[in-house]
Amino acid sequence: MTFVITGECCSDASCVAVCPMNSIHPSPGEPGFGTGASLFIDPRTCIDCGACADICPVDAAQPAEEAAPEDVERNAAYFAEREALEATDLDSWEPPTYELRGGGPRRVLVVGAGPAGMYATRELLLRTTAEITLVDRSEQLGGLVRFGVAPDHPNTKQIIGSFERIVRHPRVRWRPGTEASALPDGYDAVVHAVGARRSRRLGIPGEEAACTAEDFVAWCNGRPGAELPVELVGPRAVVVGNGNVALDLARLLLSDQLAAVSPAVRRTLAAGGIKQVVLLGRRGPDEAAYTRPALEELLAVAGDRVELRYHARPTAWTSEGLTLDTGETIAAGNLFTAIGFEGQRVDGLPFDAERGIVPNVRGAVVDRPGHYVAGWIKRGARGGIGVNKACAQETVATLVSASRGAASPGS
Amino acid sequence: MDRTAERLLGSAERLSRDPETEIDWDAPVGDGYGMSPEWSTLYGTPYWDELTEAQQRELTRHEAASVATTGIWFELILQQLILRDVYDKPARSAEFQWALTEIADECRHSIMFARATERMVEPAYRPPLLARELGRAFKAIASGESAYAAILVAEEVLDVMQRDWMRDRRVEPLVRTVNHIHVVEESRHMVFAREETRERLAGAGRGRRWVSALVIAIAADMIVSSMVGRQVYANVGLDADRAVREARHNEHHRSLLRTSCANLMDFLGSVGLLTPAAARVYRRTGLL
Ligand SMILES: Cc1cc2nc3c(=O)[nH]c(=O)nc-3n(C[C@H](O)[C@H](O)[C@H](O)COP(=O)(O)OP(=O)(O)OC[C@H]3O[C@@H](n4cnc5c(N)ncnc54)[C@H](O)[C@@H]3O)c2cc1C
Ligand code: SF4
Ligand code: SF4
Repeated sequence: MTFVITGECCSDASCVAVCPMNSIHPSPGEPGFGTGASLFIDPRTCIDCGACADICPVDAAQPAEEAAPEDVERNAAYFAEREALEATDLDSWEPPTYELRGGGPRRVLVVGAGPAGMYATRELLLRTTAEITLVDRSEQLGGLVRFGVAPDHPNTKQIIGSFERIVRHPRVRWRPGTEASALPDGYDAVVHAVGARRSRRLGIPGEEAACTAEDFVAWCNGRPGAELPVELVGPRAVVVGNGNVALDLARLLLSDQLAAVSPAVRRTLAAGGIKQVVLLGRRGPDEAAYTRPALEELLAVAGDRVELRYHARPTAWTSEGLTLDTGETIAAGNLFTAIGFEGQRVDGLPFDAERGIVPNVRGAVVDRPGHYVAGWIKRGARGGIGVNKACAQETVATLVSASRGAASPGS
Repeated sequence: MDRTAERLLGSAERLSRDPETEIDWDAPVGDGYGMSPEWSTLYGTPYWDELTEAQQRELTRHEAASVATTGIWFELILQQLILRDVYDKPARSAEFQWALTEIADECRHSIMFARATERMVEPAYRPPLLARELGRAFKAIASGESAYAAILVAEEVLDVMQRDWMRDRRVEPLVRTVNHIHVVEESRHMVFAREETRERLAGAGRGRRWVSALVIAIAADMIVSSMVGRQVYANVGLDADRAVREARHNEHHRSLLRTSCANLMDFLGSVGLLTPAAARVYRRTGLL
């Protein structure tokens, strides 16, 4: 038997670095890394040593005999058209890359303790001797991992454990519940990793009465102060969106077993009586942004209580339901929108309103020396938790080389 | 534990490597680097820039040989630790059999490193006397989590460097092969050491954890500081005083080491072995 990677993989590529057989792909630098939702293990070359599982922060790498058959099949299928890499031919591996380390800034401020801020902090600790001040306006670290990732995905949330170890590092000063603007100046560099939390809008009449994905997941996850802004009205709800977040919403609405949410949330969901969900996609199933494991999971939970509709454009929301551009009205009591997120302007930094990001070159904010961005505010609201690792590494590399001056060996 | 051990035995069946037959020990050895130059203790210092390329290459060969010698030294300690640990375990258990498999691997690795260094450089290296004497005491008394976590530290530090070197086209092919053989088999050993460490720590009180954490940190300091000594610089004809001084303050090298130990530190943190006292030692050694 071999190991396989399951759908809970968040592609931070920790496992790639420890596999002695070069069996895990796509690795960082290979085409496809950071675009798909997960990595895969080549069963032809895996020797079943278990190193990947030992290192995986979210328990996504598992022995094949303990994983679901779909996962085993998905891993094998990824390699079906590719030739097996011979690990003993060491030239078939990516050569290592090096940068000169050391030097760099003395004091760095990292704003935001979501994945991007945490990976940036870790990278700064490894690459420099800087003292790092880490702030988050929330009392708790983790960002969307804590208050976005669906509560019935406890494995994914496990990565918070490694984030919590980072803030205990002696060179980190962790200041929860703090706005960046409340701090004095005096940092050599500031990394803004504030995420992209604002929900995109459909732009149709009646939308104010809908519930956004942000509000729903925050409430479901028990974010302090978060309330469900609408009253749940069964039996049918419409979820607009075709990404994993839309699927999360549909699954949470229809799941009968939500052990991980608070009793109050469970009671409200049960009392709402939502028994059916119509999931609306603007384009066809082939262009949908969700991943296969997420869809399989939804279908397993909801069965025929979820209806997938594609090529559908909503035009208005009323108490009757959702009207489409074909004139049809889908009768429903609630509308949920999960059509993506966009960043908000950060005080004092330029802003690209079109893309919802702070304009930057490899993480360095354009025209603002000393200011850097990482994560969703840098790239836009795309990519899972682990993608923020490579993203933060790029930003820190830019930051370190800028603060060192000329970067030649021996300088 | 037995399930992990069974899996590892199965894995060893799938791929075990025999350096005796897999490496052509009579083939001529070229003049490639002994390790990626970026891993040299002097890379990034003014001294490094003054060296000719040939001197840099020679230095890395000696450094790699010295590191391999530290590897042999620790593998000896490790074999004894494991042997003592399984002394009264049932011979039919998977855990026992895996332990002996690991000892056999280490035994082959030590011979392999010895032969490879012999082919690469002259003269031979030895860890410093103090390290040898402390090692002697450690292998006679360490047990439980201190034994297994110390094994893990040594394996992990070596492992990450060797993964880099084996993929580096500039490095002498013999070294690359030797490193890959080591990396494959060590990955199983590290899985085992982590599992044993977790298991031994289950139910350990704060006092014991504190002591174990400190012992492991001191062992780590010993291993890392024994890897490249002044003899190495002297043997390649450098000013040893200056080399030692510049190496000690080489932030680039400390940063590489810190990065290569990041997973290890995370593991130690997750099992409660990164106590403040231990963390102070790791910071001084440059691993944290
Ligand atoms: C509903 C949902 C579910 C998801 N599920 C998954 C999943 O299952 N698997 C997966 O891999 N990915 C998932 N993702 C994607 C993942 O959450 C993101 O990739 C990741 O969180 C982005 O990281 P970030 O650090 O850029 O932003 P965030 O996670 O948003 O972190 C930003 C942090 O900055 C703080 N902050 C903002 N402004 C300020 C300020 N002015 N001062 C101080 N602090 C501030 C915030 O409080 C927050 O903690 C999901 C995303 C969503 C929205
Ligand atoms: S979550 Fe990270 S370590 Fe785990 S399988 Fe995915 S890429 Fe590998
Ligand atoms: S079990 Fe070992 S060989 Fe297989 S993918 Fe995981 S790390 Fe690689």
